Amino acid sequence: MIEFINVSKKYSNGTLALSNVNLKINKGDFVFIVGQSGSGKTTLIKLILKEEDLTEGEIFVNGYEVSSMSRSEIPYLRRSLGVVFQDFRLLPDKTVYDNVAFAMQITESLPKEIRRQVPMALGLVGLSRKADMYPGQLSGGEQQRVALARAIVNNPALLIADEPTGNLDPDTSWEIMKLLVDINHRGTTVIVATHEKSIVDSLKKRVIAIDKGLVVRDQQKGTYENEDKNYKTYI
Amino acid sequence: MKIRTIKHIFKEGITNVYRNKLMSLASISIVVASLTIFGIFYMIILNFNHNVGKLKDQPEMQVFCLTELDDVGVKIVEDALMQNEKIKQVAIVTKEQAFEKVKDMLGDNASVLEGIDNSFLPVSFIIKLNNPEDSAMLMDELEKINGVDKVTYPQKTVEFISKFTHGIQIVNSILTTVLLVVSVFIISNTIKLTVFARRREISIMKYIGATDWFIRWPFIVEGVIIGFIGSIVALLISGYGYNAVEMRFTKELLMTGTSIISILKLNDVSARVALLYIVLGCIVGASGSVTTIRKYLKV
Repeated sequence: MIEFINVSKKYSNGTLALSNVNLKINKGDFVFIVGQSGSGKTTLIKLILKEEDLTEGEIFVNGYEVSSMSRSEIPYLRRSLGVVFQDFRLLPDKTVYDNVAFAMQITESLPKEIRRQVPMALGLVGLSRKADMYPGQLSGGEQQRVALARAIVNNPALLIADEPTGNLDPDTSWEIMKLLVDINHRGTTVIVATHEKSIVDSLKKRVIAIDKGLVVRDQQKGTYENEDKNYKTYI
Repeated sequence: MKIRTIKHIFKEGITNVYRNKLMSLASISIVVASLTIFGIFYMIILNFNHNVGKLKDQPEMQVFCLTELDDVGVKIVEDALMQNEKIKQVAIVTKEQAFEKVKDMLGDNASVLEGIDNSFLPVSFIIKLNNPEDSAMLMDELEKINGVDKVTYPQKTVEFISKFTHGIQIVNSILTTVLLVVSVFIISNTIKLTVFARRREISIMKYIGATDWFIRWPFIVEGVIIGFIGSIVALLISGYGYNAVEMRFTKELLMTGTSIISILKLNDVSARVALLYIVLGCIVGASGSVTTIRKYLKV
């Protein structure tokens, strides 16, 4: 599903954000990407979305060879995956329903399909009754659920969440995480970049830890911090 | 592209124009100004070309006798013309023929001639030259003949007007180019404001997989709408303006009796001018947007 082969990313200001990263994420996986701010988590996600060009190596996402793809192919790569951000990125002057439908309009879906898919996605995130409200009338957690509905409305095989709970209180964060797990159970590959130690620790999913641009740990059923206290001394 | 996508694009484009009322209005005004100025020159040129064409159809040279010259005098002039070897052909225009011609030219206004006989008109001769190069010399020669009032040679006027028209054409193309560039610049600024106001929306669209063209088209539609409205307003202004000027000029021309020159009627020019306006307006509008959006699409 996603494969990084010897990937390095150096920004034009000289910062080495990722160095020699090798990763493989399979279909149906649920993966946490953890690390401090500035560790390279966000760069990793930007590379998957082709928001940034990589400096070295190869990246494959959903069968696209991201490393060598042309500008005109980028929209099709992005349609094959759903994305959720920390700041929700909803359109304030569109209703909840229209925000979700918008993702289908730009892919030129049939109106019939839009009428079927949008209520389904809103139902999945539990917002059917708020379809006619505007994002400004919703709480942070609800807004993030709208963003989730928008991300999954086109039935992508892959869902990427960049700090999805960064702006939310702990209870709401749990709701969002549970939704992500639900979505994963329906067969979608889910990648979550996060700081939330307690959530990562209790969910026991695969954890990829990044520090200073290096993958320092890749662990099935992992936790936020390495349980082996001596770990840091021998890397 | 699917029909609902086209619908979406037009809806967004129109919304953009409306949301940005003040700048849209400013852009429309500048398009109106540019096109109107272009149009004024263009219509002057059309009229000059029209008259040059008419003048070219005129006899090569016309010799007018003095109005009071009697038949004998006319005969003497005619003989002198016949004997000149520079002249290929001579045709006489009698007072009666001249009178009929004037009547024809006045058309509906012919009633002003009632009660007037043809004695105020001169007899004239229409001459064809063997060699146009001789024209200047021949004119001097003919003017010296007794009983000749004046000699006209439209060909000379034609040359002069042609040169003049050419000059106007150059001035017009420079002026129009400058104005159109200014228009493109101002429209591009207007679009920039819309793009700026919607940059968040654009970036979200890019994240969820909108193609560049899907994002670009509404802004192009916005530019074209501005250009189109501008061209229609300019068309109305110059249409009414031209009509007023044309009626005035035609009246003046009738009063002075200048028959050779005439002004084109509005209907004769409107189709050509309208098409040019609309095409120019839309091109200006579209190029204004295309130049702007490019840099905002990089997400």
